[in-house]
Amino acid sequence: MDYRLPRVLTAIAVGSGLSVAGLLLQIVFRNPLAGPSVLGISAGASLGVALVVLTGSSLGLDILNNSFFLSDASMVIAAFAGALTVLAIITYVSQKIGNIVTILIIGLMLGYLVSAVVGILQFFSGSDDLQAYVIWGLGSFSKNTLARSFGLLVTTLLLIIPLFFLSKPLNAILLGDDYAKNTGFNIKKYNLVFIFLSGILIALGTAFTGPIAFLGLASPHIARIWFQTSDNSKLIPASLLIGSNLALLCNLAASLPGLDTSLPVNAVTSLIGAPIVIWVIVKRTKIKAA
Amino acid sequence: MKELLKIENLATGYEIAKNKRLFIHSGINATVKSGEFISILGLNGTGKSTLLKTIAGFNKKLDGKIYYDKSEIGDISIKELAKKVAVVLTSKPDDIYLTPENIIITGRYPYGSIFKNLKNEDFSFVHKAAKQTGVENLLERKFVTLSDGEKQRVMIARAIAQSTPLILLDEPAAFIDSPGKVELMLLLRKLSKNGKSVILTTHDVELALEYSDTLWILGKQNIFESGSPREILKNDVINKVFISKTVKFDNKEKRFKPV
Repeated sequence: MDYRLPRVLTAIAVGSGLSVAGLLLQIVFRNPLAGPSVLGISAGASLGVALVVLTGSSLGLDILNNSFFLSDASMVIAAFAGALTVLAIITYVSQKIGNIVTILIIGLMLGYLVSAVVGILQFFSGSDDLQAYVIWGLGSFSKNTLARSFGLLVTTLLLIIPLFFLSKPLNAILLGDDYAKNTGFNIKKYNLVFIFLSGILIALGTAFTGPIAFLGLASPHIARIWFQTSDNSKLIPASLLIGSNLALLCNLAASLPGLDTSLPVNAVTSLIGAPIVIWVIVKRTKIKAA
Repeated sequence: MKELLKIENLATGYEIAKNKRLFIHSGINATVKSGEFISILGLNGTGKSTLLKTIAGFNKKLDGKIYYDKSEIGDISIKELAKKVAVVLTSKPDDIYLTPENIIITGRYPYGSIFKNLKNEDFSFVHKAAKQTGVENLLERKFVTLSDGEKQRVMIARAIAQSTPLILLDEPAAFIDSPGKVELMLLLRKLSKNGKSVILTTHDVELALEYSDTLWILGKQNIFESGSPREILKNDVINKVFISKTVKFDNKEKRFKPV
């Protein structure tokens, strides 16, 4: 129980946070394949961790041999700082540039840039450091203490609650730019709010678990198919519930009975998430063709 | 009749870069009375849609003034403007789960606070508007599965639900079959008879002459002519603007004919 509860709380927090973030990004960028990775924010988190883990020993900071909790905490801080740095750049650019496609492309390119820097750091680092970094990149729900996972869950929910009241501008954005303006909302401002909120949710999730693939991309699609709606007053709670349950399922699948250690979460979410996304895209094409 | 909209020395176009502007049309002066049905005619590239989008506040005007009642468009907030003018555009929503009801209800967003849920009153606006355009039986369907004509009627219902004194429509008759076009014009005609001002752009000169109170005709070199269909025909305006070597407009038969 002592070690299971933090895992469950972390899974619920990250599952709901990434899924709601995925929903927002799919709407703002009008792209069904938008997800937590598109803005380069998870790449930013990776860079933060890479800087601490991979350059730590060369600076004489023996992070790996430090007490376990301390190194874990430092990785969380590094990941969060990295993710927030990228988010700050994205938010600044979004304010300057109104065009949503341009913002999307800049986010993607920023992700590649940051990953390239990580690659260079990897090339120059020792094998122990490299292993620690790779393991972080595989993702895990079990890195957190009870207090930390509880804090993560509360913070995530506090960030999601305001969105329950913002389904109107989200629905307006679905109609397209000009129609959205004609509903009386300052869409440029709301796009910025949604990008920022989803960015914080992604930064939080990635900082505490490592990058988690496909969860944030798949859950909003499952919510749409399940409830057969695009109404965001229903999709926000639905994505939250489906995302947290999907994360719990992945957590369960990762710690199969009979195994001493648990499988890397990132691999499990991809194994479950990728087929779901394929199924969704095929179904979409069928509906459009009908 | 009450004057709803006043356009003074308007220049439309685009700001390409700082201090670099592309003018599409300059020197437009016009007024719109409440209940007036106006069709904008003109060849491609003469700025019909740009004019419509400038009046709607989507495009920045490059010069001149647009007054809604007494207030200039630049001084009107986005929310207040949404209570004065509703639009029907050439682009249509393409989200696969949206229903006509989801779309029409957005016409009620300018009323009430962002945080408050929509009221029953708002839904009665939706049903009334859907009935007026004949889509009340389609409300629960998926929007993407409707025909072009049905989609257009849903978007018009959305504009009606917005309860604005002015509706702007960008080429509403495009992609619609011939009886559908006439039905559409009759529907818009009825809206204007009930007091709403309607401005639309169209390529259908014959229909515009038949059903509009006023025509605005845009031509190259900043030509802007306005008048009733009768005045337009009398002054042979259409031939001054729609210049073609092989086709001429017959003002008696009200149609284009080979020379």
